[in-house]
Amino acid sequence: MLGRKTELVLGAILLVLSLIVVLAWIPLDSETGMIETFRRQTTMGDAFLPTVAAVLMAFCAGVHLFINFRRPDNLGTECPAFDGKGLVFLLQLTGITVLSVALFYWAGPIAVNLFAQGEGDEAVTYRQMRSTYPYKLIGFVTGGFTLVLFTTALIEGRFRAIRILSSLLFVAVLIGIFDLPLKNVLLPPNGDW
Amino acid sequence: MSVLDYVLAGIMAVFTGPEAFSIFGIGISITIVMVTFGFFLGIVIGATPGLGGAFVMAVSLPILISIFGYTPDALLPVMGFLIGVMKGATVGGAVPAILFNTPGTPDALMTTLDGYPMAKKGQAGKALRTAHFASASGDTFSDLVLFTTAPFLAILVESYLGFAEKAALIILSLSFVAAVVGASPMKGLIAAFFGILLASIGTGEDLYPRFSMGTEFLANGFPLITAVLGVLILGEVIHSFEDMWRDRRSRNAASIVTQSGNNGLSWKERRALAPFIGTSAVIGTLIGALPGIGSTLAATLGYAAGQKMHKGPVRFGDGAPEGIAATEAANSAVSGSNLIPVLSLGIPGNVSAVFLILAAESIGGFNPGPSVFRFSVSEVNPELVIAFGLFTTMMIGNILNWTIGGQFMRWVGIMARVPKQVLMPMVFLLTITAVYVQETDMLAVYFLLAFGLLGYVMRKIRIPILPFVIAFILAGNLETVMRQAFAVSDADPFFLFRSGTSVVFLALAVLVVIFFSRKPKHDVTVSSEVS
Repeated sequence: MLGRKTELVLGAILLVLSLIVVLAWIPLDSETGMIETFRRQTTMGDAFLPTVAAVLMAFCAGVHLFINFRRPDNLGTECPAFDGKGLVFLLQLTGITVLSVALFYWAGPIAVNLFAQGEGDEAVTYRQMRSTYPYKLIGFVTGGFTLVLFTTALIEGRFRAIRILSSLLFVAVLIGIFDLPLKNVLLPPNGDW
Repeated sequence: MSVLDYVLAGIMAVFTGPEAFSIFGIGISITIVMVTFGFFLGIVIGATPGLGGAFVMAVSLPILISIFGYTPDALLPVMGFLIGVMKGATVGGAVPAILFNTPGTPDALMTTLDGYPMAKKGQAGKALRTAHFASASGDTFSDLVLFTTAPFLAILVESYLGFAEKAALIILSLSFVAAVVGASPMKGLIAAFFGILLASIGTGEDLYPRFSMGTEFLANGFPLITAVLGVLILGEVIHSFEDMWRDRRSRNAASIVTQSGNNGLSWKERRALAPFIGTSAVIGTLIGALPGIGSTLAATLGYAAGQKMHKGPVRFGDGAPEGIAATEAANSAVSGSNLIPVLSLGIPGNVSAVFLILAAESIGGFNPGPSVFRFSVSEVNPELVIAFGLFTTMMIGNILNWTIGGQFMRWVGIMARVPKQVLMPMVFLLTITAVYVQETDMLAVYFLLAFGLLGYVMRKIRIPILPFVIAFILAGNLETVMRQAFAVSDADPFFLFRSGTSVVFLALAVLVVIFFSRKPKHDVTVSSEVS
């Protein structure tokens, strides 16, 4: 169980969020209400189940608030859910993930723009080259390698030569599993181009 | 078709299905190959601390669907593989618990109490044999209970429950899972309602996809497997990243103690373990049949029951084989009976069941639930044939377990030495790749990452994951039966309270929450493996 104060803040946030969902999001973003009558036929509208769920969520958040309000202060046995260290970690991991996903998506097309040659002066697009080696794997190899290596380095607090090797090897294994035997399978980002 | 014909058809579907290869002219079906592969992979993964059967099931599901496609022929190989993994991981979890005092899976935690002391005394081989014998016995017993119970329960449900009662039963199951998983029933309920809310996005019956905010990327809702993988697997991966990042210094290489003495397990010793295994198998089976209560609690209760029965010279906790047997029989007995609510009610009660339901829903042609067990005489019910095919795959898994599982289990101790800080980033990439391979759209990867972040945050603020996932999966079914119940009641606002059965179910749903709210629970003992 988290500390009393944290639980109270959590309960309050959940209560407010669920009330926003009930009072604003559901009415504004659903074509039919809870109950719909059309040509004398009454049916359940699209808003019924989500409204019930959100109302009950608000109720549970309220009860949670009440329980924790009455709970003695000394039951908070654990460290806070979030702290500065956790935020630093999350920011670093987000940075690595964003970089890797960007490489997944753009490395192949950039490589095609820089190096691929079409017949005559015709420009070659990544879509034309996405099933051709090495272009079809450039995004996956660079993005996948970056993701595995940098995440391992983040956890270990240092870069190690052996991890470069193991990261490359793992990406190669994945290519061996997905790309070589399965012709109908597309590795990232080839389905998007 | 008679009942026996259906059973035979199920067995034949496994043995004479699409052929993988042939030996001396005898075709080996792809289903048998996949069950075998899944079983061995499950042992390896179960023996790897930090990973578990759920990881493999989650990551391999999209890959298998990409390979086998969306045809009914894919059902048995894919689900057989998942069942193989489930069984293998249950056995494998005991390996690092005994050899290195590190449970491979959370439910093997109690195995460390007696397993590691035995290994320190040079009896690791005996401890592993005890764990395997107990695990295989508990698992087989639980499967037999499943085979005999699920069809009857399903027939009862199908005969006596209408739309309103089925809706009330789903509500009761969700409420039960929410109440028993995690430390606070209120948080469990919040997770379940949140799951229903998110599952509502982009779905519904109107032309306008509800709650899509007019955007195209939300118009089709969240892909089911992507969302479940994100919250369940990626959330866990990110959380473990942070734990390892905070705890860099405590990573010590596991050391192996030199083994000596008699490491075999004689028939006399096996007979002496039987009462402990029998008691724990019954406990595990009963616990497993209830949705949401994980194998960790079963192992704890089995161990406690064994401790009361034990009168031997070596005390529990000092390296008693009976302690290992009591724990392993209980946690393994959960795996079969866990499928009782899935096959008879269509309600997944634990993580493994979640992936079996996802496989069935993704591939199509098999909707786990009471309608599966329609023993129609005039025409063939293909779903029933698949159900008996699944039972056959479970028996194949058990045969593998009894014959070569024990030997293989003793070989995979090396997996406990794979550094987790290297393994988890690889799981991260593998999860992203698996999702992309199935969806072939970067949007699915973005959803995966977003749900992963959600899973991480939920773990940080101690909101249990399992109620969210089960509610997310069941939301569509719940809404459909509620719409039907509302329609047949002629738009009665009290449509859920018109029959005594549904009133009883709803009252139980409230009572179970009140009961579990009365005193604070401890997170570890009463929680599933992912909460």
